[in-house]
Amino acid sequence: MKLTNSLLEKLDPRTKIISFLAIMLCMILTPITRMRDFGLYFLLILAIGFFSNITPRQILKKVCILIPFVLFIAMFVPFVKEGNVCWSLEITHWKLDITYEGVWTFLNIIVKSSLSIFLLVIANATTTFSDFLKGLDMLRVPRLLVMLMSFMYRYIFVLIDEARKLMRARSLRYFGSRYKEQFRAMGYMIGVLFIRTFERAERIYSAMIIRGFSGEILSVKRFRFSTMDILFMVGIIVSLVCIVSGLVNKIEHMRVSGAHLWQGL
Amino acid sequence: MARIIKVSNLNYRYPDGTTGLNDVSFEVEEGETMVILGANGTGKSTLFMNLTGILDGDGHIEVMGLLLNKINLKNIRRGMGMVFQNPDDQLFCPTVMDDVSFGPLNLGLDANQVTEASQKALALVDLQGYESRTSYHLSFGEKKRAAIATVLSMNPRILLLDEPTSGLDPRSISKFINILYTLKSQGKTLLIVTHDLFLTQEIADRVLVFSEEKRPVAIGNYKEILNNYDLLLKNNLVHQHRHRHDAVVHEHEHQHGYIHKH
Ligand SMILES: Nc1ncnc2c1ncn2[C@@H]1O[C@H](COP(=O)(O)OP(=O)(O)OP(=O)(O)O)[C@@H](O)[C@H]1O
Ligand SMILES: [Mg+2]
Repeated sequence: MKLTNSLLEKLDPRTKIISFLAIMLCMILTPITRMRDFGLYFLLILAIGFFSNITPRQILKKVCILIPFVLFIAMFVPFVKEGNVCWSLEITHWKLDITYEGVWTFLNIIVKSSLSIFLLVIANATTTFSDFLKGLDMLRVPRLLVMLMSFMYRYIFVLIDEARKLMRARSLRYFGSRYKEQFRAMGYMIGVLFIRTFERAERIYSAMIIRGFSGEILSVKRFRFSTMDILFMVGIIVSLVCIVSGLVNKIEHMRVSGAHLWQGL
Repeated sequence: MARIIKVSNLNYRYPDGTTGLNDVSFEVEEGETMVILGANGTGKSTLFMNLTGILDGDGHIEVMGLLLNKINLKNIRRGMGMVFQNPDDQLFCPTVMDDVSFGPLNLGLDANQVTEASQKALALVDLQGYESRTSYHLSFGEKKRAAIATVLSMNPRILLLDEPTSGLDPRSISKFINILYTLKSQGKTLLIVTHDLFLTQEIADRVLVFSEEKRPVAIGNYKEILNNYDLLLKNNLVHQHRHRHDAVVHEHEHQHGYIHKH
């Protein structure tokens, strides 16, 4: 049990959902050629991370788990994208062309997704799933969707457990022959899993209606925007406006031209 | 004492044609603890589903003076809580607190009352401090207790418990019996399905025995039923006790709460 909650943990889930979504949206819409902006986004995310209790090590660990997936998907892009060839590889009659467009798309995917993953890892570490769901609910995300996510979160492990038990029961009685039979066994297993899930859903629904469920999720936990929330949100919005409008670039520019002026004097 | 549940000529057939209940009739008095015994597959869970209106059998069910039908269903459910056999079916919310407050919130209580009722229920099952835990990560015994708390928080007059002690270790069972004593002393009506004759002996006022014909074959005072060895044996509730003293294996009748000499 942690003794102190970090600022990020104390924030209303709505604040986090809105601000993080805004950051991601801005990042995604920024053309990849504006590399400097991405540096600034990185700094912004670092600054946010600073308000949480998680150490850079923990964040990096999680980011490193996710990045390979993105890399794997993005890896082939430079080869398949049509455009100006910047480098080509010839092995006998095979010809692999890497295009400028392909490289930019590759960078586009890698940079944006890495930054987004970074942000999501921070969000995930500072918000419990149930708070996140309540935040979504209060932001008027369709209730059905929120409930679906809630049930998925609750039962995915139960389901995985059930599947694992079935697999174990099978492998205990399987001695490695007649592989065609195995397909049939697999089919039965999927069938059993499906029926069990279906019947469980029915029982859960019964358990809900007995306790007076009428289609509405209610909650005792009340969230209220605090001064901190407002400050945080304002901070994020101001930073985003600065980055997007190129204000930072302009200030930089002014400084440089100021220096010229200075030298000119 | 007033009659709180009356079931007469209740029949239920599952959609696939299996008989679930076969002409069931009995009555329960307010404030009594009735234990329902019966071998596997004799319709005990099916009966509970019918009493709560989840399954809709043919027959006549009266609960708290109200006929069980579409119109009265909501009111009946306000006063009747049921705990399912499998706690994973009962605990469907992300956290324990969400689950325990689910019922009271639906009853329309305000936030403070809900919190108070939930805390009280958690205290009763000895789960204070578990509010923000995820139910999936609880131990089986904790899940069972949390499942009971989800119903206790609604403060129902009637409690239906389907095999509440199965899978619990002996110490948890004796703790659970204490919870039941508390509920009894609060005047709640308890219907408990169990295979545990020890539990029955501890808390039952009356016992109802279900037979393979999916109907009650006996109902009566707990002493009367528990001492009727033939009845218990015939309904698969006891088995010939076979055990070993060094080299000698011997069999004798099953007796509970009694250590025999050899
Ligand atoms: N969903 C279902 N569809 C068809 N038949 C069912 C269904 N559920 C139960 N049955 C059948 O109805 C009968 C009564 O089942 P029920 O679950 O009520 O027994 P039970 O007394 O609760 O048994 P246990 O002690 O094993 O929990 C059994 O023969 C069972 O096979
Ligand atoms: Mg049952």
